[in-house]
Amino acid sequence: MQLGFLVDLHLCMGCKGCEIACKVENEVPLSTWRLRVKYVDVGTFPETKRTFTPLRCNHCANAPCERICPVSALHYLENGIVNIDKERCIGCAGCVMACPYGAIYIDPQTQTADKCTYCAHRVASAMMPSCVVACPVQANIFGDLDDPTSDISKYIQQHQGNVQVRKPEKGTDPHHFYVGGGNVTLNPLASFRGEGHNLFNNLKHIPLGGHH
Amino acid sequence: MVHETLAATNAIVVLDVALPSVFWGWIITMNMWAKSIGTGIIFIAFFLLKKYPEQTGFVRFPAVVISIVFIHLFLFFTVIDLHQMFRFWHIFFYPHLTSAITIGAWMATGFVGLLFAMAYAIYLKKDEAMYDKYLGWTTLLAIPVTLYTAGLMAESTARELWQMPTESAQMILAALLAGSATMILLGGNKFSDAIKKDLALVLGLSAAAAFILYMSEYIFGGMKAEEVAATLAFIKGGEYTAMFWIGQVMAFLAPMALVCLSLKNKSYYLLKIAAVSALVGLWVSKHVWLVIPQLLNMS
Repeated sequence: MQLGFLVDLHLCMGCKGCEIACKVENEVPLSTWRLRVKYVDVGTFPETKRTFTPLRCNHCANAPCERICPVSALHYLENGIVNIDKERCIGCAGCVMACPYGAIYIDPQTQTADKCTYCAHRVASAMMPSCVVACPVQANIFGDLDDPTSDISKYIQQHQGNVQVRKPEKGTDPHHFYVGGGNVTLNPLASFRGEGHNLFNNLKHIPLGGHH
Repeated sequence: MVHETLAATNAIVVLDVALPSVFWGWIITMNMWAKSIGTGIIFIAFFLLKKYPEQTGFVRFPAVVISIVFIHLFLFFTVIDLHQMFRFWHIFFYPHLTSAITIGAWMATGFVGLLFAMAYAIYLKKDEAMYDKYLGWTTLLAIPVTLYTAGLMAESTARELWQMPTESAQMILAALLAGSATMILLGGNKFSDAIKKDLALVLGLSAAAAFILYMSEYIFGGMKAEEVAATLAFIKGGEYTAMFWIGQVMAFLAPMALVCLSLKNKSYYLLKIAAVSALVGLWVSKHVWLVIPQLLNMS
């Protein structure tokens, strides 16, 4: 079994329901996120559109975080999930340095690394990850990539040529796919980050008469 | 930051979490800097004791003491940087051998053991032959202890700037630079002119080689990967530009010039200034190179 995730960006409407469900299910502390939705505005007014990209751990087959972890706190489960043992983690932040997707953070409460586990505890009880359940438009598709009859396998087959992963050049072989993604949504260097234009940035830097 | 330049594809992030702060900061810089001195002094002591056994016997004891002090500083900063420092023992009881951190911890432990054996041989046993025997093995082990941090940086897949070939060369050069600088300061005027000249050459050449590597990456690094280009932007007019050049001048350019002047004028005083400049500048250079890849947004 190889569990994987797919997000159809055509369907995602940026409601952040998945973000909240993840926060609640996994008791993710304030100021940290296992899953978040990035908004990118594309184009020049009036020809503009807003894109939404849910970002989480990619559960790579060749996971740099698992490789660099000195104590095997990050480890593979038999179903392919890259899981974390917070009791073993020493908080060296090597995984934070290694993850090309910025998906790992140091939990301020436990002082250990943490990240999305595809809700491994729910999966073990034959339940879907909480973000999948919460999505109102079924943009999140989760299942067994080794099973050609699973929903995710069928979805990938139906959208041949339009299935992407983030940063394929890193050779991490992610098990997290996007349909309808592009350079702007998946490449962090393809969009500009203006200081003060992000909700969680320091608001005092927003210039008077800004764009909001 | 690099971004789309076409108006038609103008893309602006309007909502995302704030960028994470720097995880590996001055504590890890101290770690690398102290390790460079701790292993570098062993490299240089080995070289001097092989080439000038009659004249450099007095360095045996101070060299091992300096190495012990700085390797323990390195270990201290390694441990206090852990968010769960009291779980440090997990590295030995739950080792993961694909991790450069694990390998480095084991190597460093062996290295410390050999250093204490050397101290025992020279201080308690007064046995120079035993000391020299241990020194050979210690010097060999100093190589992977010096290099493992480069391996760790190379395993940091997210940080494109840190490549193993250049980082490993930089680590060895930093050890030679720091080791020769420390030996110059340690030796006072007890060294002969020939030894001073050798130490000056090691200092000057390692500074020159390290500077060439930094400049190679500075000029050409961004031509191969956009992430490297975006990272180098922080030292090309970005917020770390001044600090980068202060480091380059103090660690490499000033020592090179001072070494040339000291050789020409036979001035040991200038050589000592070069040594101090190199040690201070090395910290600054390493800090900039450590921090800038962490400023890059990953998502």
